[in-house]
Amino acid sequence: MTVHVRIEQLTVEYEKPRAQGRFVAVSDVNLDVGRGRFVTIVGPSGCGKSTVLLAVAGLTAPTRGRVIVDGKEVTGPGRDRAMVFQEFALMPWRTAVENVRFGLELQRWSADDQTARALRFVRLVGLQGFEHYRPGQLSGGMRQRVGIARALAVDPQILLLDEPFGALDAQTRETMGDELLGIWEQDKKTALFVTHSIDEAVFLGDAVVVMSRSPGRVLETIAIDLPRPRTIEVTDTTAFVEYRRRIRRLLGSGQEAHG
Amino acid sequence: MRSARPLALGALSFAAILFAWEAGVRLGWLNPFFTSQPTAIARALLGGMQSGELGRAVRVSVEEFTAGFGAAIAVGLALGIAAGWFRPVEYALDPFIWFVYSAPLIAFYPLFVLWLGLGAHTVMAISFLLSVTPITVNTIAGMRSLDPLLLLAARSFGARAHDRLWKVALPASVPMIAAGLRLGVGRALTGVVIAELFVPSGGLGSSIAYNAGLLRTTDMLASLAVIVVIGVICTQALSALEAQFSSWRTGPGL
Amino acid sequence: MDKRLAISTASIAVFIAAWEVAPRLGLVDPFFTSRPTQVIVAAADVVRSGTLLRDAAVSLSEFAIGFALAVAIGVPLGLLLGTFETLRLLLDPPIMAVYATPQLALLPIFVLWLGIGMSSKIAVVFLGASIPIIVNCMAGVRHVDRPLVVAARSFCATRLDVFARVILPASLPGVMIGIRLGLSRAVLGVVVAEMYVSQDGVGNQIMRLGSAFHVDRLLVYVLLVSTFGLAATSAVRRIEERIAR
Repeated sequence: MTVHVRIEQLTVEYEKPRAQGRFVAVSDVNLDVGRGRFVTIVGPSGCGKSTVLLAVAGLTAPTRGRVIVDGKEVTGPGRDRAMVFQEFALMPWRTAVENVRFGLELQRWSADDQTARALRFVRLVGLQGFEHYRPGQLSGGMRQRVGIARALAVDPQILLLDEPFGALDAQTRETMGDELLGIWEQDKKTALFVTHSIDEAVFLGDAVVVMSRSPGRVLETIAIDLPRPRTIEVTDTTAFVEYRRRIRRLLGSGQEAHG
Repeated sequence: MRSARPLALGALSFAAILFAWEAGVRLGWLNPFFTSQPTAIARALLGGMQSGELGRAVRVSVEEFTAGFGAAIAVGLALGIAAGWFRPVEYALDPFIWFVYSAPLIAFYPLFVLWLGLGAHTVMAISFLLSVTPITVNTIAGMRSLDPLLLLAARSFGARAHDRLWKVALPASVPMIAAGLRLGVGRALTGVVIAELFVPSGGLGSSIAYNAGLLRTTDMLASLAVIVVIGVICTQALSALEAQFSSWRTGPGL
Repeated sequence: MDKRLAISTASIAVFIAAWEVAPRLGLVDPFFTSRPTQVIVAAADVVRSGTLLRDAAVSLSEFAIGFALAVAIGVPLGLLLGTFETLRLLLDPPIMAVYATPQLALLPIFVLWLGIGMSSKIAVVFLGASIPIIVNCMAGVRHVDRPLVVAARSFCATRLDVFARVILPASLPGVMIGIRLGLSRAVLGVVVAEMYVSQDGVGNQIMRLGSAFHVDRLLVYVLLVSTFGLAATSAVRRIEERIAR
């Protein structure tokens, strides 16, 4: 398995407002993500898991350490990586299909490609008939589908998903997770998925990276040996329950150890 | 649907006022020298339209308004975008915008006459200065109220600075810009009318001043009526435009 | 904060410097623009001779009386109209029509009715200020959170209680906005009215100095009026902020 993304001793620090010193978001994170693997990152609130994602996306500069994608160091955003945001981040004045075009426009795809791909991916995520609706007219789940379509449309090598279902209700989350896997199975792009739900992390991932409380560091990376394609029934199996228990214990002890 | 009822009540209210006014004069309670009466004003308006006098006055005022407001839109948007995007520009322009916004610009009238002469140009200048500020201020506000998450998303797809400006910041500011235009229209019209009270450019305000000198109340009020109608039409038109451009603003936390 | 203040101040400094230097370099004719130094000299003159004080006193009293009346009548009227739905629906259209038009166009009519003395100026100030006050007081009342009123009623509050303890405090921001907007219209009103026709006052002096091409003295008066308007508006703004807390 070739390494697609290598995160080396990643440390990200921010200046606190009013010169109160520095806030350490993540500290010395090391992680290898194999090509075509779906890796989930789970951890308590504020543990910096989103920061790791932003660093891979090239939207945050590392204070120390680096991120290497396909052998090249990440210095900024790129066509090979696309992100899906928790709060959707859709342009409210654009329709669904226009939103999906957004990334294609910015990356200067040909006009024909833009139109064709935008329509194709809107339909791929199941929004047939809603192409010309604005985000304000769509439900939360539908908005995030647009977000996913927008990311897929630019044909990235790596998909970065920052708690994409965090703003949705529990039932929609389940459905969306299922559908996301269905879409992912078709292409098997390398994916990094951040969540604070242990269930989601185990259900979706080939491996789960468990992070500690702030300042975030990797407690353990657990390989998830469950068969694909995964259905919702797998959450009732003993293997699943065991993984869940293991991660929960890790998170609990991680919290105690860092008092 | 919803706007039908207030509209009907509005019409009723006006009709009642006009009726009471006319009755007051005919019953001898109001002195027509001071107040004139609706029927006389209507006759004066008709006469003015037939003779072409009214048309000429309206045309002059509208020309001055268009020039002043048009310039205000161009300059206001340009300054607003520059100041909204580059903070140092905003800081540098701030004191001047504030001054032009709050100072009674009409006090500069003698200076304008000195610089631009006693004619339409002075009227246009005053109209321009009065309306350029709400447009600039609102454009800046629109760009500043941008959701930073949208800019982050744009950056994640590789947007460069000019992409972020044209594809994110500007479209997001359109509702506030529209509101600024609506506020500007009222002020531009006010500027024209007030300036015309002093400058005999042949517009509606000039005819009010002219008729005031001859103590012709009816003709004064006739010109005023035309101004009121124009004012209401302009504000309503721009409110509708504003609503149209804000249609995607369905609620908070999008 | 610091950076903002620095750049703004620098900007003003550059402007004043340019204003002073450009005429000296022959770039503009000082007859048309005067210079800051000349304006300061003229200001000293005008203050010493007492003319400034006399004119300012007249204008200030016209402004004060008109504005005080506008607040005294406009605030209660606005609050009343905001509270009673039927009254509001009836009076809203004409009030909105007046708001949407340049009230100063009524200036010649006021002069016709009240002559060229102080009363016509006071009337202009009153009308100019009372309309925004009424409109914003109405809006302030209408935007009071319904749940607040319901909560008060649940504690057996009488209508008077509800008005005094909930509606009044809650509509205060709207009232202050109305007062601030009314203030700038009032300043504008007194200046324009005096410029149009009067025997004394700041506006009148502006017209006299203008026709006599005394640009430096003219600028003293113009800047005086502008500064007054700015100062008054910022004072109200500061009160607004303190109330908002």
